[in-house]
Amino acid sequence: MSDDRFDAIIVGGGIAGTVTAYLLAKEGLEVMLVERGNYAGSKNVTGGRIYSHSLEKIMPGFAQEAPVERKITREKISLMTEESNVTVEFSSTRLGEQGSDSYSVLRGVFDQWLASKAEDAGVQMVTGIRVDDLIVREGKVCGVIAGEDELEANVTILADGVNSLLAQKLGYRGELAPHQVAVGVKEIIELSAEVIDNRFNCREGEGTSWLFAGIPSAGKVGGGFLYTNKTSISLGVVSTLSELIKANKTLPQMLEDFKSHPSIEPLLKGGKMMEYSGHLVPEGGFHMVPKIIGDGVLVVGDAAGFCINLGYAVRGMDFAVGSAECAAKAVLKANKAQDFSAGFLQCYQSFLDESFVMKDLKHYRNFPHFLEETPRIFNGYPGMAADIMTDLFVVTGNPPQPMMKMMMKHVKNMGMLNIAKDGWKGVRSL
Amino acid sequence: MNIITCFKVVPEEQDITVKPNRDISFEKAPMTISAYDLNCIEAGTQLAEANGGNVIGISVGAKKIDDSKLKKNVLSRGPESIFMVADDKLENIDTYQTANALKAVAEKIKDYDLILCGEGSADLYAQQVGPQLGQLLSLPAINSVSKITLADGKAIVERTLENELETLEISLPAVISVTSDINLPRIPSMKQILAAGKKSATIWSAEDAGIGNLSATLGVIETKAPEQMDRKKDIVQGDSEEAIKSFITKIQEVLK
Repeated sequence: MSDDRFDAIIVGGGIAGTVTAYLLAKEGLEVMLVERGNYAGSKNVTGGRIYSHSLEKIMPGFAQEAPVERKITREKISLMTEESNVTVEFSSTRLGEQGSDSYSVLRGVFDQWLASKAEDAGVQMVTGIRVDDLIVREGKVCGVIAGEDELEANVTILADGVNSLLAQKLGYRGELAPHQVAVGVKEIIELSAEVIDNRFNCREGEGTSWLFAGIPSAGKVGGGFLYTNKTSISLGVVSTLSELIKANKTLPQMLEDFKSHPSIEPLLKGGKMMEYSGHLVPEGGFHMVPKIIGDGVLVVGDAAGFCINLGYAVRGMDFAVGSAECAAKAVLKANKAQDFSAGFLQCYQSFLDESFVMKDLKHYRNFPHFLEETPRIFNGYPGMAADIMTDLFVVTGNPPQPMMKMMMKHVKNMGMLNIAKDGWKGVRSL
Repeated sequence: MNIITCFKVVPEEQDITVKPNRDISFEKAPMTISAYDLNCIEAGTQLAEANGGNVIGISVGAKKIDDSKLKKNVLSRGPESIFMVADDKLENIDTYQTANALKAVAEKIKDYDLILCGEGSADLYAQQVGPQLGQLLSLPAINSVSKITLADGKAIVERTLENELETLEISLPAVISVTSDINLPRIPSMKQILAAGKKSATIWSAEDAGIGNLSATLGVIETKAPEQMDRKKDIVQGDSEEAIKSFITKIQEVLK
């Protein structure tokens, strides 16, 4: 192999890119990974949790070695209004069983670890370099261009994230549409491990995942999130771009208000803000997946739109790993046949279809649309839940009302039919 | 023409934190090349590019300076090879000991025409090592150099002084400390980074380098950040005339 030629060049050192590179190098391919940031994980943002099932398959027992933060054993979902918060909490040892466990992570640390694994496997890591364009000859992608340098490869894998400019340059997709992406902002707030254990009722090394609907995103499609890390809390707000345009508050203001909400403020007391970051999140689901296979090229991870937001769970990193595995399988097969044509690489699509990546995306394909079409989730139900709870718990000395009657009053305000309809539509889209 | 460029490995400045008790914490600070030494490496590389020759990067310090990312970083900037003394005996050594250790490395390399240093280090900025190294090697040493031109066996250097520009001619080999305005360090390209992975790095222990008896004479008792003034936590809310007036009055009072 000459100096300037690789079997595979991967653009992007996030989870999808790094895992693809790792799997290919492990099988003896000459692989280069180019990352724009000064280190892998420096440019991406995560809310905070990785479901381990997919990476567990590739690196069994990775969580023992990797710098994960806390094992999530406590799930909370809240409906939040300006003054109230109604929470459903679920804790179970089942959440922590190997294979179905999940972990809070800080990607700045986690991705560097993953990159070191790839490097150990033989990947040439090139950081601090932005790939400006692709070498395309007669419709075939032949490598990458960065500044004045050109490097060629049999196959180029685009793992350059949600706003994949390279896929766009190839004409595989257009500009992102406002309803396809959300914007997230996040703060990392430092607190001691002991304080976090106490405030979140967690055992050592275990943690909480907490999602909020309602006021955090100013009643628009989106929500708040909170994940406990070892010695910090990741706290943020996500809102779909098309909704954000209509909102009367900016996203940073939403986060400020969320932080000072009476249910959140005491949890953060004494904490020190360590990091502030923002990023786009692909939210279109199945319908957003662009063209992902071409002559000499594959698209993986966020760049391929592999992410789902279900409101009660947000998944992207396990899809990144899953799509990386499928891409690596396809490239290995293509390498054996020495055929990197789009026709041959279609096996990537077949591998994806067989894997949880496409199955899950297809299964939940109507959910993003449901969220968008059902504003009551964000601006109606949180208020209703809070009102019911207020009537239930706030004792004023006024004569009591029968519980059924009290509840029905609030339900009627919302419209019984609306609730039934939303419930039906919601369940059907799941 | 062999050009030795010296670089110091320091903790990344922006990741150094101050703890509540004013202790300085390096916990989250990865090791990096001292910013001023990037100018030194760049100066060496430009001279080699203009006059032909070979650039060698050298460094001395504790064991942790032997870091693959760091070495790759240096090698992607022009040097063909690295020689290091990485030994925990060299933790906390003073400028004179550092100069002695660098001298040992230079003497092991033997064949060199020019040694370049940064003006000072990004952490302590003592500006001593360059001149002391020259003295120890019995070579002409000169600092504050903002331009170097090479001409058979000599270097013509410019020093930007307070009121004038001094041009000097010195015979080689020599030790020259360059200022940070001598050049703008390059951002390594994709191919340069890739090539760096294939270049050689030689790591010696203090014994290997013949400085086994060197030990730190400095002990750090404590390093404290300056005391911070307490915030007044006086927040004026809103953008009404009144709020603005009260805001201005408060500032005026403090400035009185």
